[in-house]
Amino acid sequence: MAAPSIHPGGTPAPVTMRPASRWTRAAVLARALRVGIGVAATLAGYGFIVWLGTVGVYNLAYAKGLVPALWQGFVLSVLIVAVVIPIGFAVGFFVGWARTLRNPIVRGLASVYVDFFRSMPPIVLIAFAFLLGLIALRTTIADPFLLHWIILWLGVLALAFHTAAYQAEIVRAGILSVPSSQSEAAQSLGLTRGQTMLRVVLPQAFRVSLPALGNEFSSVIKDTSLLSVIGWLELSGLALVQIYSGILVYPLAPVVIWLEVAVFYFAITFALNSSVRVLENSFKVPGLEAARL
Amino acid sequence: MSTLSIRAVEKWYGALHVLRGVDLDVEKSQTVCIIGPSGSGKSTLLRCTNLLVAPDGGEILLDGVRVNSPSIRPEWVRQQIGMVFQSFHLFTHLTALRNVTLGLVRVKKLDRTAAEAKALQELERVGLGAKLHAYPAQLSGGQQQRVAIARALAMDPKILLFDEPTSALDPEYIREVLDVMAQLAKDGMTMVVVSHEMSFAREVADRIVFFDQGQVVEQGTPEEIFDRPGHDRTKAFVGKILR
Ligand SMILES: Nc1ncnc2c1ncn2[C@@H]1O[C@H](COP(=O)(O)OP(=O)(O)O)[C@@H](O)[C@H]1O
Ligand SMILES: [Mg+2]
Repeated sequence: MAAPSIHPGGTPAPVTMRPASRWTRAAVLARALRVGIGVAATLAGYGFIVWLGTVGVYNLAYAKGLVPALWQGFVLSVLIVAVVIPIGFAVGFFVGWARTLRNPIVRGLASVYVDFFRSMPPIVLIAFAFLLGLIALRTTIADPFLLHWIILWLGVLALAFHTAAYQAEIVRAGILSVPSSQSEAAQSLGLTRGQTMLRVVLPQAFRVSLPALGNEFSSVIKDTSLLSVIGWLELSGLALVQIYSGILVYPLAPVVIWLEVAVFYFAITFALNSSVRVLENSFKVPGLEAARL
Repeated sequence: MSTLSIRAVEKWYGALHVLRGVDLDVEKSQTVCIIGPSGSGKSTLLRCTNLLVAPDGGEILLDGVRVNSPSIRPEWVRQQIGMVFQSFHLFTHLTALRNVTLGLVRVKKLDRTAAEAKALQELERVGLGAKLHAYPAQLSGGQQQRVAIARALAMDPKILLFDEPTSALDPEYIREVLDVMAQLAKDGMTMVVVSHEMSFAREVADRIVFFDQGQVVEQGTPEEIFDRPGHDRTKAFVGKILR
């Protein structure tokens, strides 16, 4: 059904028409060009690496055999990232928001959280989560496989709580960047404090926070490699295993292994950064472009 | 019964006594213009009226109902009192249309179609029917202020408060905003306007209130206040702004 446009003048009004696409032709072209260059560079790089193998710089057969072996680690890394980032963001969002609230108790607790998790190297957090989990649960959980599974995931949680502290500060900075006049205007209309936050402050805060959040996301992807210290066989853990066995077969194995691992990490980071960039574009406000000097 | 009655309202900012027992009545369909020196508490008075800041004493009555009371939700009060700010304060991430529909959808709970129809009507009333999908940063100051007026009007408030609505505008845009306000006054809107625009105060206001040091010093018709002020302080101030 066509939207009924009530219009005093009688002429049909384009009320339901959405603003023209924010993607100008130039932006689309620039984007296509960027993707094109990325794909071309990847293919060229791949060709070059294969060529090095065929001329005997390294053992091509060994390198090819590695890919399926590392694939499992890649899948596990992606799974861990898919757990760490949403949990980290959810916790970080609420902690960051809490730090902007008036209630001194809530604010204080949130500050303690941030100070604690930021003062600890993630590797220490992961080790402690694993070890404390082991100590606490070893008598209650009899099944060793279940116990091990749980404490491994406790390590993942520790990493999520670590990144949450950083994301909390990013969210807080975004919220603080929205002038109080915006919330006053919203409240003058009769919006509640929750509605003001949701509809007026947060959309403007995210616009400011997204680049920094993207930064933190790519940082935590690389931190997932630390989980190998507690026995996770994700990309880095699996790489270590492959090194111990591969080095007997082929002396240059570590170089090839780490190179392939690097490519896998690059793929995860690149995919996530691209998504953040798309999100950034969707938050752009016409007329509010940043200074370009 | 007055649409708005302010009785003995007090406000302190720390040790600063900003409002010292303010009394003011605004009748339905009246336009009251408040003038007074900078820092005398005019903005604070408007912000106390819609409870953006809580008064420390006294009463605010809206259609005879005391609204600065713990049993009344401030959101319910603010919904009925429109506010137009000196620097517009449009929501920067929303189009003109969305600025106006936000309150209609979230506070008045209209469905989107009804909200858009109402918003369109108000935006046309302020002469911006062609700018529905423009973002604030794409509008001139005068256009932004008119969107802000439409945003306040759309809520069908009992009274509209204006805090120096033209002070932040380039001279070329002042007229278009004052014209909209004059038309509202003619349409019977109840308004309190803090402004030193003499043409508006003289031609549109039913009553001028001279406000100084947190108190209403003197009030009367534009002729009384501008041509025959009673108090020395009024005389001195009027002399300054008329010059
Ligand atoms: N939030 C605040 N905190 C502390 N002092 C304030 C605040 N708002 C206003 N004031 C002070 O209250 C006095 C009156 O301010 P205001 O109401 O803005 O005056 P006017 O609008 O008449 O210029 C000024 O001295 C100002 O500095
Ligand atoms: Mg003021």
